[in-house]
Amino acid sequence: MANRIAFDKTILRGVKEKVQRGLLPQWAFTDEDIYRAEVANIFSKTWNFLGHESEIEKPGDYVTRWIVHDPVLLLRDENGQIQAYLNSCTHRGTKLCTADFGQKKTFTCPYHGWTFNLAGDLIGIVAGNRVYGEEMDRTQWSLRKIPKVSSYCGMIFGSLDEHAEPLEDFLGDMKWYFDIMLGRSDAGMEVRGVPQKWIINTNWKISADNFGGDPYHTAMSHRSTVELGISPKDPMYASYGHQVVLDNGHGINMCTAAKDRADVPPYQGLPPEMWPMFKRNLSAEQLDVFEKTMIMVGNCFPNLSFVSPMHGTGGPDEPLTSFVNFRVWRPVGPTKIEVTSWFMVDKEAPESFKQASYLSYIGSFGPAGTLEQDDAEIWTRVAETTHGTMAQDKDVHYNNALNYLMGLDRVEPDLTWPGPGTAYPTCYLDAISRAFYEHWVDSLLQDADVPTGVL
Amino acid sequence: MLSGRHIACVLRTLGGFSVTRCRCSNRRPISRFREGDKMMTYEEICRFLYTEAALLDRREFEEWLELLDDNLSYRMPVRVTRDFGESNDIVDDMTFFDENKRSLTTRVERFRTTSAWAENPHTRTRHFVSNVLVEVNASEDEAQVHSNFLILRSIRDRPEVEQMFGERVDVIRRVDNRLKLVSRTIYPDQTVLSMLNLSIFI
Repeated sequence: MANRIAFDKTILRGVKEKVQRGLLPQWAFTDEDIYRAEVANIFSKTWNFLGHESEIEKPGDYVTRWIVHDPVLLLRDENGQIQAYLNSCTHRGTKLCTADFGQKKTFTCPYHGWTFNLAGDLIGIVAGNRVYGEEMDRTQWSLRKIPKVSSYCGMIFGSLDEHAEPLEDFLGDMKWYFDIMLGRSDAGMEVRGVPQKWIINTNWKISADNFGGDPYHTAMSHRSTVELGISPKDPMYASYGHQVVLDNGHGINMCTAAKDRADVPPYQGLPPEMWPMFKRNLSAEQLDVFEKTMIMVGNCFPNLSFVSPMHGTGGPDEPLTSFVNFRVWRPVGPTKIEVTSWFMVDKEAPESFKQASYLSYIGSFGPAGTLEQDDAEIWTRVAETTHGTMAQDKDVHYNNALNYLMGLDRVEPDLTWPGPGTAYPTCYLDAISRAFYEHWVDSLLQDADVPTGVL
Repeated sequence: MLSGRHIACVLRTLGGFSVTRCRCSNRRPISRFREGDKMMTYEEICRFLYTEAALLDRREFEEWLELLDDNLSYRMPVRVTRDFGESNDIVDDMTFFDENKRSLTTRVERFRTTSAWAENPHTRTRHFVSNVLVEVNASEDEAQVHSNFLILRSIRDRPEVEQMFGERVDVIRRVDNRLKLVSRTIYPDQTVLSMLNLSIFI
């Protein structure tokens, strides 16, 4: 395809070989050619998260979102079906809808007044027949649909590739874990308010890598909460449980409490009146895993990360409350991301829990959260060091590869794990990151038979 | 000395005090001044706000906490872009801050640890507080105060300036002869914050 960008195959194959040995060239984070190749070969082909069904419950409800650089108008049509269009008038390309969300039956372009309905049909042209005549076929000028839209557990994804595999195939074994996080209660989840949005000067892979496969960072990055007595002193505290490598570059860490912490309640401290719902909606294996889990954190390839921890914010004697948070690291350049972060809670949770869960999220994540504040600062430092000659050297003359060696050829999978995927019996492991980068470089290599030199 | 009463009069003479609706605070009207109302002086209120800003910029957070009432509510809802005619562009259900004095104290204590990396090395801020408007039906011991804020922030050796701006709606109360901040609602003007984090107070 003409719009695909081919990166130098030899270099990419070298990257793949390094990743398999637990090494990642530092320039992969900021190289501009890599960035363009990612936009063309990854984000334009994969499934991208757009929003949650609870954000557009009624016909006419809409939200505006992005697939990297493509503006998306996501709405529920008159038939209750979810539709996604390129948010751009078909006449001169003006951004059609500039609001973040709302309720409408039609969208009128401010440039020349072309009007579209919820089905995307062009239903109004100012001075229509007098200026265009009979030869103008309005049906040819509907809003352009995002080629594929589908949802799972209320999570709506879109793909710019009409040949994209079905969403359920793309999610693969991640569905089993999404069921635990998002499909455990009878009515599913709801988004509270609107997502928060902010900008961080970093590369999207750094944050995806951090959420996807890096519980190891918590002991140091978030040590302030240990010093305050909010988090346990044990430097291994985020290692307990399983790191699960899933297909298609996805991964999840199912963290448990240390064996000597009997005070951790089951099901992440979710209210006991909800437990019968869990039993109704989850398999025996899912229930068994969920009961023991304290933290679920991971990444759905490429840039949809999530965290569902138990956290207290007020002080060491505050009870720990769990929450569910999803976020998209939308690249807006090689070293700039726009974070969109949704707080979700079970629709049928007691109101008191919903409120406590929201406060737990606000206090620990989001740009003001005591945990997230430090992540963002550190991610900018990773990007900052990556522009120089040594870091950018493609021949690796300076041996500029970064260390993803943790557990390589040393930690063996736990074959007794009841869930799908390759589960390792510790979360201090770079297995997910290695699989993420291998899938990433494979995606860039997919068009390897396209002649090089396009850049 | 410019009293609260005086500033209200000044505002009234400037175009008949036509600011009857506040752009950001859920369209809460700014009520008209009534003769005979007693209130904190305008100077007292401004001195309180400027002192607070100075304490934050000097990182004297413990002293800042002393300005906060024990029952403080400190919130920053999310700003959104709405279509013309859909008036409320503040989503109160989701916030960036939803704090009380206890949680703010924990945040300050966190800055005193050795590993609060967002502020280690600490970032440098200047809080600019202006356009102080006193809600004129306030009593002698309580005032609702609107102000604009602009925060400029410098991080490490980065030459770029991070900034934030918007409006605050405060309730300031005289408690035991000292002014205390009882509630603050912060309305940012950006829908996408251009700051990497909010390890600062506003």
